[in-house]
Amino acid sequence: MDYLLLLPVFLPSLAGLYMLAASFWGHVTAGSLEKQQEEGKRKRIHLLTAVVLVCSAILALCAAWSGDRSVTLFYLMKDIPVYFHVDGVGRLFVTFVSIVWVAVGFYSFVYMEHEGEEERFFGLYLLVYGILVALDFAGNLVTMYLFYELMTLASMPMVLHNGSKEAIMAALKYLFYSMCGAYLGLFGIFFLYQHCTTLTFTAGGTLNAALAAGNRGILLAAVCAMLIGFGAKAGMFPLHAWLPTAHPVAPSPASAVLSGIIVKSGVLAMIRVVYYIVGPDFLRGTWVQTVWMSLSLLTVFMGSLLAFREPVFKKRLAYSTVSQISYILFGLSLLTAGGVEGALLHTVYHAFIKSALFLTAGAFIFQYGKTRVEELGGIGKQMPKTLLSYTFAALALIGIPPASGFISKWCLAQGALGADVGMFRWLGPVVLLISALLTAGYLLPVTMKGFFPGKDAAAESSVRKERLGMWLPLAVLAGLSLLLGVFPNSLISYVSRIAGTLM
Amino acid sequence: MSTYLLVIVVLLPMLAGALIPIIPFKTRTQMMIYIEGAVLLNSVLVISMLLMPPEGTLVLFRFTGNLSISFRLDGLGTVFAAVVSLLWPLATLYSFEYMKHEGHEKVFFMFYVITFGVTLGIALAEDILTMYFFYEMLTLVTLPLIMHTLSKEAIMASRTYLYYSLGGAAFAFIGMIFILTYGTTSVFVPGGVLDAARLGDKTNLILLIYVLCFCGFSVKAAMWPFSSWLPKAGVAPTPVTALLHAVAVVKAGAFTIMRVTYYSFGTDLLRGTWAQYTVMALVIFTIVYGCSRALKETHIKRRLAWSTVSNLSYILFGVTLMTPLGLVGALSHLVFHAVMKICSFFCAGAVIYKTGRNYVHELDGFGRKMPVVFVVFTVSGFALMGVPGLCGFISKWNLAKAAVASHNPLAYAGVAALLISALLTAIYMMTISVRAFFPGRDFDYGKLRGVEDPNWMMLLPLILFVIAMFAFGLHPQPVIAALESVAALMG
Repeated sequence: MDYLLLLPVFLPSLAGLYMLAASFWGHVTAGSLEKQQEEGKRKRIHLLTAVVLVCSAILALCAAWSGDRSVTLFYLMKDIPVYFHVDGVGRLFVTFVSIVWVAVGFYSFVYMEHEGEEERFFGLYLLVYGILVALDFAGNLVTMYLFYELMTLASMPMVLHNGSKEAIMAALKYLFYSMCGAYLGLFGIFFLYQHCTTLTFTAGGTLNAALAAGNRGILLAAVCAMLIGFGAKAGMFPLHAWLPTAHPVAPSPASAVLSGIIVKSGVLAMIRVVYYIVGPDFLRGTWVQTVWMSLSLLTVFMGSLLAFREPVFKKRLAYSTVSQISYILFGLSLLTAGGVEGALLHTVYHAFIKSALFLTAGAFIFQYGKTRVEELGGIGKQMPKTLLSYTFAALALIGIPPASGFISKWCLAQGALGADVGMFRWLGPVVLLISALLTAGYLLPVTMKGFFPGKDAAAESSVRKERLGMWLPLAVLAGLSLLLGVFPNSLISYVSRIAGTLM
Repeated sequence: MSTYLLVIVVLLPMLAGALIPIIPFKTRTQMMIYIEGAVLLNSVLVISMLLMPPEGTLVLFRFTGNLSISFRLDGLGTVFAAVVSLLWPLATLYSFEYMKHEGHEKVFFMFYVITFGVTLGIALAEDILTMYFFYEMLTLVTLPLIMHTLSKEAIMASRTYLYYSLGGAAFAFIGMIFILTYGTTSVFVPGGVLDAARLGDKTNLILLIYVLCFCGFSVKAAMWPFSSWLPKAGVAPTPVTALLHAVAVVKAGAFTIMRVTYYSFGTDLLRGTWAQYTVMALVIFTIVYGCSRALKETHIKRRLAWSTVSNLSYILFGVTLMTPLGLVGALSHLVFHAVMKICSFFCAGAVIYKTGRNYVHELDGFGRKMPVVFVVFTVSGFALMGVPGLCGFISKWNLAKAAVASHNPLAYAGVAALLISALLTAIYMMTISVRAFFPGRDFDYGKLRGVEDPNWMMLLPLILFVIAMFAFGLHPQPVIAALESVAALMG
């Protein structure tokens, strides 16, 4: 038994639950606070959140990077334990999740000032972090499913934070899409349970060959259902529609982690199912692979196109997420080491980049209440540091060397060219390229208009309004997305080692 | 333990109930103590009997030949009797508070307590005649409970209930006659009693009779197309809808179907035949149909009643798989659904009792005013959805496991139906919770002045149910192992 794994799960979860209960209880008893008390309470909440967040992140990283730990918590059913195990993929996920979570957390201390209900927000924020760590450490399919559902339920109230009708509807939409996806996933789990030797994640898969041979058709259908289901979280067509609805109404830090991190749990679930339970060999060359590749490429293209013609900034970024996550899914669907390598790289890079982009959008909203792209002319004068960080992140996402996106897209394209997938060999890279152009088309105008509003633009005040607490986390994330592109070697070698074990 | 206990636990509540209007209670408290004492005593007797099961049969009286009213305790009966006896005292406690605003308490509690005995009669019946006798009696003693308010609506509802139930019982009667004719014995035997020699070439006929019998008993289990009485019966006071229409009566329907399928007709005869496919198709349809109706319904109790329709068909789905695993799934849902649904009904009842509000759209902002009730309601919603960690997930897992293992294409469709239903459940339960906790930015809580949690008599059962939902969800093994030992007899 190795309890170090449980600490970063339970510490933030319990702290989060405590804060949620306190917030709820405060409303039930309806005591009103003096202004001064209010300020003191805010400080206390921030302090508690910061301490718990940093401690748990350190614990999570310690647990992740100190050997192959595992722990069985208890048996949910006779042959199904709630079981945690650290492996290569989990380690990678937990690392970028923790970095982003801490950075965005510090950003929120400033940002959430104008949203109110901070106790509830930070309670949820900590709770979801604990659940995510558990999800990344989950060692078998049922444990993963358990935390996958909990994550949906815990992150849902973050979307409806501001309490407007629109936000509540968006949160419900998010909930129902996620549930629909989770149940499609569960459908598959039922079938895999019967046809696998074990549901414990094992590199290369655990399918019982003798049993599977007789039920190939239904198993493929089940896996297809799982891919579409877990694709709901990852924003893959046809269950992608919640993303552009939920992101714009959520508070910006929430959209940042939704887009950068939570959608990635869909990716993680797919990796686990395909590479650790079913095994890539079973799917290679089947109709399921074709469907998966087609859906992901379609989503890449569709997402970019929709982002290109979307005027609301955060919604544009949400569509961009739809498109970018499907880059990752396309890499996974190739079922080759090269494809997985590109996918994992893009997972990490996109986490940093997209949360940086959303934090930028949040900064604009926080300071000026500007939500639409055309309102952002000349904002570079007022918020130069913010916009500069945005630009770096945008360049990274487009894939301009030497920024990070270039490396992952290069790997993805190479993976596609090297895979034996018929016409997708060339179609994939072509779609990726077109989408990259569109990405430039929808991200760069913000920079250009922001810094060069043109002569006839209204002369807005050029007083700089930037808060250190907001631009610093943003700059860190943007800097990481740049640096990981300039010095990618250790990450690449780590990722290719993981990919190597899966084939 | 003595076999006399078998009949004592059936007759004691009937007697105690019948005495309620006669005994001149001085105060309401005296009556409460008497009733709760009787129910609790009976539950204790049942549980101690289940822990030390009496061997053998008790024949109450014999008509002719092998026709008798007789009792025996076996595995399946144990499960049902345990569920019923654990829930009855809690529901009674809840009713004391709730019935304050309904009036006619003596009559109500008389039938409420009698029903306890009748339900136990079904659980402990040794043969099909005894079971049928108590099944009919259950219809009659629960009828006044639905009629309770004597409003026009209530009388119409009870009339519907009566016609549906009597009609169903008639079909069940046909099944009984055939079992008596073609079976070696009228007693329930794991694996069935039909005599192949007597059956001859009449297999198709007996399959048809099975389908009729299934449909007959399924009236109480509210299978489509016999489901509409259940939502209508929601006019009854909440303790009735919660205990009888989510647990005792409807599960008596499911229980009798288990009896005739696994203990009378026998699954070996039925498995893989058109009869199995017919009833399974009906059940799968009901799973989705019930949920869809629940989604459309805005009256809280009727919504929960439609949800019950769907969930009972989960149980029946497990039964129609006709494998021991299927029976495990069915029984686990029988047990777990009892806890989840009675819990959500009690929450709805608390709202009705405290505020008189009946419709979903009237619940805006209640989360802060009735915190305990709505937190419990949300947990029960999660459980019904099948969120892992709560008991609903375990029974769904067992049902789906059995369905996949049966290698029956229609059962695969059933798994899909279970999940569609889970999604719909998420929609119709979560919309209520979200509404209650997040009524919108500008909601004026002043409108809800005076809305508050009910007193401990109503809250205690709720809290116990929540603990049970988590306990069964996180550590289901003891219960599942017990159910597996029941099903193992089927071979």
